[in-house]
Amino acid sequence: MIEIRFHGRGGQGAVLASELLAQAAFLDGKSPQSFPFFGVERRGAPVTAYTRIDDRPVRLRTSIPNPDVVVVLDPGLLGTTRVTDGIRPHGLLLVNTPKSSEELEAPDGVRRAAVDATKIALSHGLGTPMMPIVNTAVLGALARATGVVSLEALSRAIEQFVPRSPVENRLAARDGYTTVRTVEVGALLSPLPVGAPVPRPSGEGPIAVVPSETIHTAAWRTFTPKIHLERCTKCNFCWKFCPDDAIEFDPQGFPRIRLAYCKGCGICAAECPPKTIEMLETLA
Amino acid sequence: MAKLTIPSQELMYSGHAACPGCGGALAMRLLLKGLGPRTIVSLPACCWTVIGTPYPTTALRVGILDNPFEATGASISGLRAAADVLGMKDVNIVGFAGDGGTADIGLQALSGMLERRTNAIYVMYDNEAYMNTGIQRSGETPWGAWTTTTPVSGDLHGKPEPKKDMMGIVLAHRPAYAATLNPAYPEDFDRKVERARDIVGPRFLHIFAPCPPGWKFDSSETIALGRLATDTGVFPLYEVVDGRLAITRKTGALKPVEEYLHAQGRFHHFTPEDVAKIQAQVRESWDRLVQREREDLSRPH
Repeated sequence: MIEIRFHGRGGQGAVLASELLAQAAFLDGKSPQSFPFFGVERRGAPVTAYTRIDDRPVRLRTSIPNPDVVVVLDPGLLGTTRVTDGIRPHGLLLVNTPKSSEELEAPDGVRRAAVDATKIALSHGLGTPMMPIVNTAVLGALARATGVVSLEALSRAIEQFVPRSPVENRLAARDGYTTVRTVEVGALLSPLPVGAPVPRPSGEGPIAVVPSETIHTAAWRTFTPKIHLERCTKCNFCWKFCPDDAIEFDPQGFPRIRLAYCKGCGICAAECPPKTIEMLETLA
Repeated sequence: MAKLTIPSQELMYSGHAACPGCGGALAMRLLLKGLGPRTIVSLPACCWTVIGTPYPTTALRVGILDNPFEATGASISGLRAAADVLGMKDVNIVGFAGDGGTADIGLQALSGMLERRTNAIYVMYDNEAYMNTGIQRSGETPWGAWTTTTPVSGDLHGKPEPKKDMMGIVLAHRPAYAATLNPAYPEDFDRKVERARDIVGPRFLHIFAPCPPGWKFDSSETIALGRLATDTGVFPLYEVVDGRLAITRKTGALKPVEEYLHAQGRFHHFTPEDVAKIQAQVRESWDRLVQREREDLSRPH
C-alpha cells in the first residue's frame, strides 16, 4: 500500500487532487481511497487531504500520519506547516516550486522532487496569478516521480471528473509529468509496513493551553495592507474593526500591521476614513 | 495615542482560524473587550470551536468550555451553579453559540436557561446558516437566501421559509436584558455588552455576524454590509431592559433594502418583486418596533 498526503491551501484544489489520484488509480485497476482532513476548510487556510492506493481493498479508515509521499501544492506552506512530519524513510517529498529539487529541505533519506506547477497552470489559463489552480500539473509530476498511476489513467480521470477546462487540465498534467525534476526519477516505494505509532504530545491533559498566536496566519494572505502614515489621523478605525487583532500602535500612536497575523481581508483599507491604507498584491 | 472609543484590552489571541473578514471573529473580540478577563465562555459546535480551539491551541485568554451542539443553555446553567458553590461572585458566565446552535439545535436548552432565570449571558452570533459545515440553511437563514441546501435553479428559489424571530422567542421568557448588537457599530456594541455585564439574571445578546464566504461578498465589505443591515432596517439595533424596549440607533429614513440585498451573492437571483416583498416586511417590523418603543415609554414604571 502507498499512502499519500496532500498539503495545500483552501481553494487550490488539494482535496480534488486527492480524489483525482484515487480515480486514476481505480482506472489502473487498483483499490484506492481518498478523503480530506475535516478541519479548517477556509479560503486560504492550510488544507490536508489523503489518498491510499493498494492492490487489495483498503480497510484502514484513519488519517495518514506516516505517508510514503508528501505533496505540497503551495510553497508558502513550507515555512508555516511541518509538511514532512512523519514521512517514512525513503519516502518522497514533491513540491510545487520554481526551485530545484536539491534546494528542498527534507529529512535524511527522503527523496525530493520539484515541479513549477504554478507556471504550468498559468500557461494553460488555469486560475489567476493570485490563485493558480495547480492540482492537475502537480498530479502529472506525481505520476512520473512515483509511478503510482499511469499518465493515461490520470488523463482519463481528469476528463471524467474535472468540472471546468478538462482539456487544459489534461495538458497541465502532461507538462507536470514531463518537467518534474527529482533527485532520481524512478519507481519509488518499497512499501513499508503500516501501523507505526503516531507521535503525540506528552504530559498534557485534554486542556488546550497553547495560545493561537503561536500560529502565524500570514500565509493566508493574497493582499497585504500598507499604511501611508503621512495621511493617518490616528482615528483607530483600522484597529477597531480588525477581526484578527492584527493592528497595534507604535510609540507615537500610529497604527502598525502585525504581518504575522494579518489575513489580508481588506477591512482596514475599506474603513479607513482618509483612505490611507492600500492593499498590495503579495505572492507567497 | 488617540482616545479609544472602546476598551483597549484584547482577550482574543491572533492566529485563530476564522476566515478573512469574519464577522463572528470580530464579534468575539468586541464582546470580550466589554466583559473583561473574569469570564468563562461555553462554546457548542459552531464556527468558533474550529476558529478558536484546534487542540492544543486556544484563541481566548479566558477559559473555554467545549460542549455539545444542543447544550449551551444547560452548560451555562451548570457553570453558574458551580461558580456559586465555589463562591465566585465576580465571574461572567457566557454561552457563545451560532444561529443553528441557538435557534434550531439548542433552542430547548436556551429556553430552559431563561426559564430557570440562570444568571448568565447567552450570545447568539448570527451568520444566518450552518457556515462551519459549508453553508446549510438554518432557522435564521432569511427568506429567499441561497444556501447549499436551499439552492436556486428552476423552480427552486432559495429558502422558502422566513427567518425565525429569536428576539421574539427570547422576550417571551421575560429576560433581565436582551439586545441586538452589530460589530459595524462598535461603540453601541460595547455599551450593550457592559450593560449586560452589570445586570443580574438571564441576558441574551443577538449579534449580527456577516459571513463573506457564506453570503458571497468580498471580505473587505464586512463592516460596510453590517452598517447597511442596520441602516436599511433589516437588522435594527435595540435593547429591552426589564421589558422596556428602546431603539438605540435611529436614522432619519431607512435606506432601501435593495442596497443591502444587492451587495450579497446569496440574493443575486432576487427579482424586483422579491425585493419589494422584503422591503414591505422590513418596513412592517420596523414600524412595529417603533410602536412598541412608544408604548413602553408611555407605560408607568
